[in-house]
Amino acid sequence: MLEIKNLKVSYNELNILKGIDLSLNKGESLAVIGETGAGKTTLSLSIMGLIEGHCTGEILFQGENLLSLPEDELRLLRGRRIAMVFQDVEAALHPLYTIRQQIIEAILVHGEKDRDFAAEHTRQLLARVGLDERRGDSYPHQLSGGEKQKALICIALANDPDVLILDEPTAALDALTKAEIINLLRKEAKERITLVITHDIDAAAKLAERIAVMYAGRILEMGPTEELLEQPMHPYTRGLLRSYPNMTTTKDLQGIPGRMSHRVEGCPFHTRCTQKIAVCGHDVPELQKKNSRYLACHRGGIIPLLEVKNISSNIDKVEILHSVDINLYEGETLALVGESGSGKTTLAKTIMGLFTAKQGEIFLEEKPVIQRKKEFFERVQMVFQNPGESISHRMNVYQAVKEPLDIHGSRASESEKQEKVKKVLDEVELTGDDEYLKKYPHHLSGGEAQRVAIARALVLDPKLIIADEPTSALDASIQAKILRLFLDLQEERGLALLLITHDIALARKVSDRMAVMLQGTIVEEGPTSEIVNNPLHPYTKCLIEVAPTMSREISEPLETNSREEDHETETDFQKGSSDSQQNCPFIRRCPHPLPRCFQDKPELKTCSVHRVACFRHTVHWPT
Amino acid sequence: MKKAGSAVSYLIAFILILMISFLLPRLMPGNPLMAIYGEEALIAMTPELQAELTQRFSLDDPLGTQFVSYLKALLHGDMGYSYFHNAPVFDVIIASLPWTLLLVGLAVLISSFLGIILGIESGYRRGETTDKVLLTGLISLSGFPDFFIGILLLLFFGAALGIAPLAGAVTPYAGKTGLALLIDVLHHLTLPLLALVLVRITGTYLLTRNTMVTTLGEAFILTAKAKGCREREIRYRHAGRNSLLPVVTAAGLQLAGSITGALFIEIVFSYPGVGSLLYNSLLARDYPLMQGILLMTTVVILLANYMIDLLYTRLDPRITYSR
Repeated sequence: MLEIKNLKVSYNELNILKGIDLSLNKGESLAVIGETGAGKTTLSLSIMGLIEGHCTGEILFQGENLLSLPEDELRLLRGRRIAMVFQDVEAALHPLYTIRQQIIEAILVHGEKDRDFAAEHTRQLLARVGLDERRGDSYPHQLSGGEKQKALICIALANDPDVLILDEPTAALDALTKAEIINLLRKEAKERITLVITHDIDAAAKLAERIAVMYAGRILEMGPTEELLEQPMHPYTRGLLRSYPNMTTTKDLQGIPGRMSHRVEGCPFHTRCTQKIAVCGHDVPELQKKNSRYLACHRGGIIPLLEVKNISSNIDKVEILHSVDINLYEGETLALVGESGSGKTTLAKTIMGLFTAKQGEIFLEEKPVIQRKKEFFERVQMVFQNPGESISHRMNVYQAVKEPLDIHGSRASESEKQEKVKKVLDEVELTGDDEYLKKYPHHLSGGEAQRVAIARALVLDPKLIIADEPTSALDASIQAKILRLFLDLQEERGLALLLITHDIALARKVSDRMAVMLQGTIVEEGPTSEIVNNPLHPYTKCLIEVAPTMSREISEPLETNSREEDHETETDFQKGSSDSQQNCPFIRRCPHPLPRCFQDKPELKTCSVHRVACFRHTVHWPT
Repeated sequence: MKKAGSAVSYLIAFILILMISFLLPRLMPGNPLMAIYGEEALIAMTPELQAELTQRFSLDDPLGTQFVSYLKALLHGDMGYSYFHNAPVFDVIIASLPWTLLLVGLAVLISSFLGIILGIESGYRRGETTDKVLLTGLISLSGFPDFFIGILLLLFFGAALGIAPLAGAVTPYAGKTGLALLIDVLHHLTLPLLALVLVRITGTYLLTRNTMVTTLGEAFILTAKAKGCREREIRYRHAGRNSLLPVVTAAGLQLAGSITGALFIEIVFSYPGVGSLLYNSLLARDYPLMQGILLMTTVVILLANYMIDLLYTRLDPRITYSR
């Protein structure tokens, strides 16, 4: 049993750890992740009692406070009850002694065992970690990085410790060796308390059941590994995951703006946080329990920026949206995909207030949206599908882009506004020279008009942009730049993006989550990588089938059981005929319908990390 | 194989030294006999003796043949004849060499050993009082030239207190044997040895201390601490062992300088070593003896360095002399 209570460590007046609370029982494993300098290694060294700085608080190991033990007794615990594998594989072994000598020393130094036992046990240890017996007589410089790491693990395991601390156990190892070491460590970690210190999220996930995210000497978030990685609650955790290259997520890598500092008042992360409020600047958030998770954030984690609840909408008495539910979090991209006519644009316009919802509610930053006033449009802007039409023909480029600034009563002078307009035009790769500013929409190409429309939306620095096919009129190269711009704004300012597109390949690279729309309903929703790699709904599957690839292979058109029966239903169904209320909207094209699908409309139900509206997947799950 | 490689380079160095020692007198202007024996000796020589010597050194023959006969003579231990000592050069040097080896060898051993121990302890306590006292003390000690310390010691222990002999390596004509002789030798050795040790200790100490300070910051020291090693074990077995390497290199370099570097000490204490011999041969312009000493000391230094190299491979497994 290892328990850390309010541990604070400081070196020369600089506080490195600012109150850490942890508790680990036998057989439990915890990974501490975070950027370099967060204090992870200081934490592990203070448990080992090898810290030079000043420690306060308590580190209880089986009821005894390690911080108050005299050095002699601590020494007997070190390497015997609490062992550690250090991070610098290349330098952590003594260069002048053989591996065997170093392992034997680890056993003999505690004076409990004799030389014969130590020699024999060393032989067993080498075999256990998969090091050749003869390698034992090698010097460290004769071994590969992986072999050195194994030797270090042997030293740590020499006395069968109760607590095993692994500091960056896989850094500097190649992928195959890393996999081998992880396997070995996972086997050896059983029946012990394991503390893994790493910035490698993959290693953390594979070695520990729980993860704690550390930042500037504090724990910001802690929870079960899978849950935390699937749904990070703290903006910092999300930032870490977004910047970590891996085979699971598909979104382009994004960093975290700014730099870590240990001398920050209030929440340690607030200087880099995109959703900070006044209180973050002067009060330190407490680590509070939330279900299975611990979180230290004044805003309760990443806030839902836009919540659409149970929205239904009509156009000319035809119901286009059927109780749609979506959430868009701060700094997140939600891609709304689906074929033309599935109601994507209607949803966007309903959010913007261009259509009135028949029922349902919309919340912006957790406040219900009843009337849309200036404040709303300062926060939310939309880029329309049809750029040529969405810019007034009576305004030139300069006037069109500047207009939002005028409307919102910006106090800036005319020259400042011009400066701002030019900057925004530059961001969308348009020239800001006077001649160009005087052009009218009909002088512009489709791509240019689209970029002017985007510039107009960006000029107010909104928090949320609803972009309806923002790049469908653009060349791929300009499209890439525009999306990169969106992602950069997202990284810097926490811009949330509701991206409406039919291009699932595009959505895959820029969105965090994806919602698939069919006939005015969301049929599947979840993390983009999950939706793309493991689609559950047959409609999603067929969208992915036809998504762009770079091969000559073509996918078979969807086999529909209705095709032979009736060709007319196709058009009927695309219009959103009223009978779609009574059965699954995909029934006519579904390759494997169940009898129930003809009678009932499936509801959106949670199924692993997805939400899916399909009886095939939800019927087995308790409702 | 790797050891043979280093032996070959030593052999090449040795041959080069032989060649230089052979060529130098012959390259000098005028009669080589004069270069070999000096002007006074040449004047004192009868023409018959000159002719005999010219023939003996094959001075009329081409250089190649001369070199071969030079080597042959060397093999027989013939390094020439010292007129000043009226004895073969080889015998003269062999009579002094053991004393110098004893003095210098012991001085290097003791100063290295003490330097290492003090360096380790001082480096481990970096910034503490012990460290500061040692550092200041030893650095100021190293400021004195060796002969000055020798004179001070001689004045204090020899002249004022009278507990140490003033000159020589043994009490002359005492006819001591066995243990008594050994004690007598040590008695005479103490002061010159002390002077040499005091001067040489600082270099080793500073080197060890500095290496110790850097080694203590290495990752493997943390590993040793995490094993649960005692402080003493960390100090000596882990950090100290690593700090030994540069010190051994330095000791090898020191040894080379020490044989002739002991010159002043040997003169101050009238110690009958190679240093005194060299000094006297210089005064007397005893050229054959000077050349002999040059050759002998280079051989000794080469041998010493070779031994250091061998020792080094044992100390540091990372070093191999493979090419």
